[in-house]
Amino acid sequence: MERHPIRVVVEDDLDRSRLTVFFRLLLAIPHLIWLLLWSIGAFVAAVVSWFATLALGRSPQALHGFLAAYVRYATHVYAYLSLAANPFPGFTGDAGSYPVDVEIDPPARQSRWKTGFRIFLVIPALILANALTGGPGGGGGGGARGDGGEADAATWFDFSGGGVLVLVAFLAWFVCLARGRMPLGFRDFQTYALRYGAQTCGYLLLLTDRYPSSDPAALPASPPPQPQTIRIAVDDDLRRSRLTVLFRLLLFLPHLVWFLLWSIAAFFAVIVGWFVTLAAGRMLVGLHRFLAAYIRYGTHISAYLFIVANPFPGFTGTEGTYPVDLEVDPPARQSRWITLFRIFLAIPTALIAGGLGAVLVVVGVFGWFVGLVTGRMPEGLRNLGVYAVRYSAQAHGYAYLLTDRYPYTGPWEWSTPGPAEDAEPEVAAA
Amino acid sequence: MGVEHTGARGGRGARGRRRIAGRLPLALLLVALAAAWATGFYFLWQSDVPAGLELPEVEASELLGPEELEEARDYERFLRIDFVLAEVIVLVVFGLYARYGHRFVRESAAGRIGTGMLLAMLGFALLWLAQLPFGLAGLWWERRHDVSEQDYGTWILESWLGLGGAFLFVCLAILIVMGLAGPLPKHWWIPGGAVFVGLAALFAFVLPYMLPSQRPLRDAELLADADVFAREQGLEAAPPLHVQEVREFTTAPNALAVGLGPSRRVILWDTLLEGPFPDEEVRFVLAHELGHISREHIWKLVGWYALFAFPGAFLIARATRRRGGMREAEAVPLALFVLVGLSFLALPLQNAFGRHLEAEADWIALETTRDPEAARALFRRFGTTALADPSPPTWSYLLMETHPPLADRTAMVEAWEARRGGG
Repeated sequence: MERHPIRVVVEDDLDRSRLTVFFRLLLAIPHLIWLLLWSIGAFVAAVVSWFATLALGRSPQALHGFLAAYVRYATHVYAYLSLAANPFPGFTGDAGSYPVDVEIDPPARQSRWKTGFRIFLVIPALILANALTGGPGGGGGGGARGDGGEADAATWFDFSGGGVLVLVAFLAWFVCLARGRMPLGFRDFQTYALRYGAQTCGYLLLLTDRYPSSDPAALPASPPPQPQTIRIAVDDDLRRSRLTVLFRLLLFLPHLVWFLLWSIAAFFAVIVGWFVTLAAGRMLVGLHRFLAAYIRYGTHISAYLFIVANPFPGFTGTEGTYPVDLEVDPPARQSRWITLFRIFLAIPTALIAGGLGAVLVVVGVFGWFVGLVTGRMPEGLRNLGVYAVRYSAQAHGYAYLLTDRYPYTGPWEWSTPGPAEDAEPEVAAA
Repeated sequence: MGVEHTGARGGRGARGRRRIAGRLPLALLLVALAAAWATGFYFLWQSDVPAGLELPEVEASELLGPEELEEARDYERFLRIDFVLAEVIVLVVFGLYARYGHRFVRESAAGRIGTGMLLAMLGFALLWLAQLPFGLAGLWWERRHDVSEQDYGTWILESWLGLGGAFLFVCLAILIVMGLAGPLPKHWWIPGGAVFVGLAALFAFVLPYMLPSQRPLRDAELLADADVFAREQGLEAAPPLHVQEVREFTTAPNALAVGLGPSRRVILWDTLLEGPFPDEEVRFVLAHELGHISREHIWKLVGWYALFAFPGAFLIARATRRRGGMREAEAVPLALFVLVGLSFLALPLQNAFGRHLEAEADWIALETTRDPEAARALFRRFGTTALADPSPPTWSYLLMETHPPLADRTAMVEAWEARRGGG
């Protein structure tokens, strides 16, 4: 597939300065003020660019350069704020000046239709960007309103809260302070979210007429440092039955009832399993199998509900029966300390799973409309759904004592992924 | 040759006798079942309405004025056409679904029962889509005549949520049928029929708790009347009386007797209590509903359902054999078609039984209140407030009327008066 005109390039060694991490929010204040001022200029430039692109069929070079620098600068700032990068960024948004950088292709011809209706076309991307980052480019609470519409109260990039990026940044702050390093999975997620935000902002600001790609597989992120004991396997052809998509929510009802009943049994199984694992250092095989089937079933029905997969799932959570499936390793030794404090250790994973759950809802809503109209699920959206479902399964597996391996937050994917959008690697160092 | 002929004839005769002998137990069983069915029918049909009660002829024009009558007939005419078209659509949709529905098997990764559930749900989903315009047309008509005040969006949402409830019910039904058809591919209908009858009783038991917007009746006078009526009808005490708030959606008056055993209750719509109905007419309605309870009509309805559940399940089992029986998910669309076809065929009988019970409740109410004037006025008012046609055409009477037409109900009042006067 043709590479996207707006790409994020990462050259980051994961080391973080504890001092700058501790004061990161305060240190970013000058950048936020400058970004706010620049946003006013970007708004005016975007309006002019809209008329120019509509007339000429391409964005004028000077305006394109100005807006590209703005997008780059905003990405630098939010990479800094979200701990995706360590050094204090410059104020000019120069290309190649920051470890988490944005490559933007020169101006190219753009469809006048897409330009004319850009303000409407961008709405789904803005909603998804809001769920991922809190706003295009990595912020929350409002973000951009559009190139021809009302100006945003603060900046095109607003970091006021919400979005998984903010959540991960909050958790990463503690980790970086403690270890002086950014977890790889956290960093990869942040760069993925920043990439989507940058592409959305670039689309909004008429840097390209190519729609933002939500595909986590499009960024060949680093594999987890340790192999995961709970993995997702995808064998989905993207076809969707319009009829079952139309009634998906209602068709899910019997599964919901069954899942709730199963959850009651799983709750008691986890309590028993906790005592057993604490005493024996590993989970009983029967309990492990029962809980693995329960979490696999949850994965199947989540995938079904949110249009990540097409067929009606079975009720048994049997491995190998569903296009979006879960592979769970057999029970292994687990650290008793991790088992003892599991309920507390699982809190950050639950928070991230909750944030990705909101993303999954957005995927489901968009997938519903697209699936109903085209009979297919866009690959990028499907892959994002798979990512959210996978993280949720790993988080549940961790909380339910199937493994003591912490869930991997990075978008590194499943055993049989679809083709990546970008052929060339973008992560130069990890 | 001749000997051979004789021998062959003798052999065929012996085989024939053996075949007849072999089928004799089956024939006897069928006769016994038919006798049991007829016996059940006989007992369920027993009524307090005197046998051979002659109903006088009551003209519709005696109940409603010419304009009211015209309006009621005009109103019901449209709904009848809507009903017929909707019924045709049901048969057409399920007919087509029986033919092509098995193709949806590819949309399932579930096992045979899960796939059966999906096919059943999709059948109802298609039906819902096909019937949506008729439902909306009916609502439009009711709104036009001020019978309903529900807005279209709410109606669609409620209908959609109702479809969700139907999905859950149909999944349970498929789970039972296909679960039993696994070990009992030919005879699942015997335990299946019993389970469905049990479920019908369970549903009748829990129904009072599922109806929304209820509150206990606070009218002390009506509560005292209910106690008197209940004792007159042979009950120890009146069951709980509730008011259901429906005024937001409709102006039509109604009351229900629901529940079994401890869940029994009478529910009066607020459109009846707060509408144009005088106290004596409300009391007649109350006595009528108590009549349903004192004569155990809910149990009778469960029994009536049982009379049809077993033969119906048997016919479904027979009809789906060529699709591999109810063990196979592919048979589900055909089973749905057979089910709705049988339901349609049984509709006149079902309605006849409903009218029979309603007539008995009317009679009990007359015996309890001894107020024929109230009954007569009530039925007349039903005609004006609910726009009920006092004497519908025969086909409508057979297919649509779950209650006796207002003319018949008024005729019963006159028959009761004549009988009382004569006695």
